[in-house]
Amino acid sequence: MRVALAVAALLLAAAAPAVPAPVVEATLDNGLRVLLLEDHRSPIASVQMWYRVGSRDERPGATGLAHFLEHMMFKGTPAHGKGMFSRLVEENGGQDNAFTSQDATAYYVDIAAERVELVLALEADRMRHLLLDPREVDSERQVVMEERRTRSEDDPDGALAEELSAVAFKAHPYRWPIIGWMEDIQRIEAGQLRAFYDAYYRPNNALLVVVGDIDAPALLERVRALFGAIPRGPEPPPVLAVEPRPNGERRVTVRKPGARLPVVGLAYHVPNHRSPDAPALALLATLLSEGRAARLHRALVYERQVALDTSGDYPYSSRDPSLFWLSATAQPGHTPAELEQALLDELERLKVEPVSEEELDRARNQTEAGFVWGQDSVHARASTLARFELMGSWRLLERYVPEVRAVTAADVQRVARAYFAADRRTVGILLPAAGEP
Amino acid sequence: MIAARRLRRGALAAALVCAGALGAGAAAPLAHREVLPNGPVLLVAERAALPIVVVTVWLRAGSALDPTGAPGLANLTAALLTRGTARRSGPDLDRAIESVGGSLEADASRDGVSVSLAVLRKHLDLGLDLVAEVLRAPAFAPEEVERKRREIGAALERAEEEPESVASRALAEALFPGHPYGHPVAGTAESVRRLTREQVVAFHRAHYRPDDAVVAVAGDVTLAEARRAVLARLGAWAPPAAPRASVPMAAARPPVASRALERELTQATVLLGAPAVRQDHPDYFPLLVASQVLGGGSVSRLYTALREERGLVYSVSSGLSPGRYGASLLIALQSRNETVDVAIRLARGELDRLRKEPLDAAELDIARSYLIGSFPLRLDTTGKTVRFLIGVEDAGLDLDYPDVFRQRVAQVTAADVARVAARYLDPAGFSTIVVRGRTGAG
Repeated sequence: MRVALAVAALLLAAAAPAVPAPVVEATLDNGLRVLLLEDHRSPIASVQMWYRVGSRDERPGATGLAHFLEHMMFKGTPAHGKGMFSRLVEENGGQDNAFTSQDATAYYVDIAAERVELVLALEADRMRHLLLDPREVDSERQVVMEERRTRSEDDPDGALAEELSAVAFKAHPYRWPIIGWMEDIQRIEAGQLRAFYDAYYRPNNALLVVVGDIDAPALLERVRALFGAIPRGPEPPPVLAVEPRPNGERRVTVRKPGARLPVVGLAYHVPNHRSPDAPALALLATLLSEGRAARLHRALVYERQVALDTSGDYPYSSRDPSLFWLSATAQPGHTPAELEQALLDELERLKVEPVSEEELDRARNQTEAGFVWGQDSVHARASTLARFELMGSWRLLERYVPEVRAVTAADVQRVARAYFAADRRTVGILLPAAGEP
Repeated sequence: MIAARRLRRGALAAALVCAGALGAGAAAPLAHREVLPNGPVLLVAERAALPIVVVTVWLRAGSALDPTGAPGLANLTAALLTRGTARRSGPDLDRAIESVGGSLEADASRDGVSVSLAVLRKHLDLGLDLVAEVLRAPAFAPEEVERKRREIGAALERAEEEPESVASRALAEALFPGHPYGHPVAGTAESVRRLTREQVVAFHRAHYRPDDAVVAVAGDVTLAEARRAVLARLGAWAPPAAPRASVPMAAARPPVASRALERELTQATVLLGAPAVRQDHPDYFPLLVASQVLGGGSVSRLYTALREERGLVYSVSSGLSPGRYGASLLIALQSRNETVDVAIRLARGELDRLRKEPLDAAELDIARSYLIGSFPLRLDTTGKTVRFLIGVEDAGLDLDYPDVFRQRVAQVTAADVARVAARYLDPAGFSTIVVRGRTGAG
């Protein structure tokens, strides 16, 4: 699926142990949270360092700081100069990367389990000793701008997602793109990056997860030795913004000369995992958009043949309430208005007719199977532990499948009526430029 | 929720079918292999840790077998397999597999078609019934053919807005003139419009055959169970009388071509490509190491020169793309319209430098260590294991390939790299495709 609107459904790629896994957990004196899980299927491990900071923690005028800093984390420390981190990882056969989301920034290395300590030492070093050389900042700025061109300027779906979020939120930082506005990327200075790093890259704002062919108790001692001396920092400033209750439909139209087919996105303000309605919303997302038998594909692609593809996503684990997304790309000859109506028809149907037991069962089984598949790699297991831990506790994992399985047809109908309301909706329409085919 | 992954690199990685798919080796046997009485090769990797099973049936019915004048036929045929059988409609098939939380997909590529099942162990029988049904008894109902042709046409239209798709298509034309590898797997808007149900039926009858099939199974299943289950469903599948299709090898030295295409873009996408060799050639491993040094990761020369030192790109990489009927070495990069010419010049300069200056020992070591050391990551899921097995079998390699890979990579010397660089990395031998913003549109 190419659609940037629909973002990787966390819980499909996610893992949950059917029985409580023997996670070794600890919180160091300096506040560093540690989760270690032995998985001896293969002689590898996934080492993941998560910081509780993302684009949510930025301010207007300096958007993109969290992501820019993620890039700078590969630019060296006094002990490990520029490029040394990746060099050490690669010469040890590891694969490293990182990503920034609205809520978190994560660094990961998948590597032979016997090399885990090397990675931990590097992570401990760059938690507090980043160089942040202004010349490197200027050079990396060009790289980030190229990244933005790829993801937003020249990608019609990316451009639409950005504009839609900017209209759907008026007070909450979820309104700006994770990568930041180009105008801000152009102006970010080393001093701002330094202040951001000092505020958020502290052991008490971090979570370390290692899953793989490790001896967890022994590794915990090594973690204490490597990270224990890093001093606790001041608590990061809280995000105070709260999105006011939406009070009417909002719309935005984006014209992209390079686009060939219209795209329609609908986004509804919904609560996150803290709400008792969250399992029903998660099931609803599966029922609407997971697979070819799901409602959106069946109705828009197969039966009405107005869409080339469809997608849907519910950000269950987002830190603050966010948006339930639906989107569809038009088949040639079909208009955005047709697509929008077809999407709305499906949502109306949910409010009027109870869904069948067969459909509910299918969505429940897809949820459960997705959880099992998510345990297929140590990387996915580590990511899932981290995401649930950031929601409050990795133990919430154990509740997820039973809660989704317990959702009834009445719950689905009630939730659809409550949240798929016009005044919670933002409609985004991507149009190829006039005159283009 | 991770709203959008912001990866540091790799945007074009998908365009590069990296040789890494056939990575290095493990000591334990990867899988059991046998040839079933009616022809299919059965490969089974027992992985009992999770109650899941992946089964892929691979057939050589890819777009390399598209008849002249019918680009896209193999792809249309594959796409129709799950759109209805003698017993079930397309939506019935979708419901059957998704109701148990599984998936069943059929996809064509240049060299073949894969029909892939992913299912919880307890639903393996149902899943295999569906696999056998879509392979052996697809209905190709006229209305489904029509529907799918329209969908493919729409997807081709959308591919026009993706610069990497536009560039890949142009590069394939340049590297494989007159060969089936030169046309897109999905065909063109025009060719797909002309395809008929009769062509689909004939293609299926001729090219979906047990004596060309590879059945790879990995997961929570024993060899005996897998053999029994596969034989029960595919054992009576008889090969057609017609001989197996043959496809000529692509030209070893096609003319070098350069094309610049204009679209509404702020950033240009560049693909450079030149003929290379397959795994069975003695130059393959030295070339694999050379490509790793050139653009294989974030310590590679291209990454260092274009991204770390000059800030010209977000994404730059190189890789080998070995196919059954021809191989290429590809370089992909993206840079804004104003700087793309500098980026191309630097990339060509790096090709030249690899040809003219000896590799230093440390660089060689990192490349070899990475290729060897990262091997287990290439088999770290059940799905990857199945793809690896199919890749090994299709390339005509043995199941000890992981060990062979490790030994051969370890043996590559700086002199070997210099030798293959002289032969394959002459910048003058690379075709260049640039998809950039319209002149003056910036």
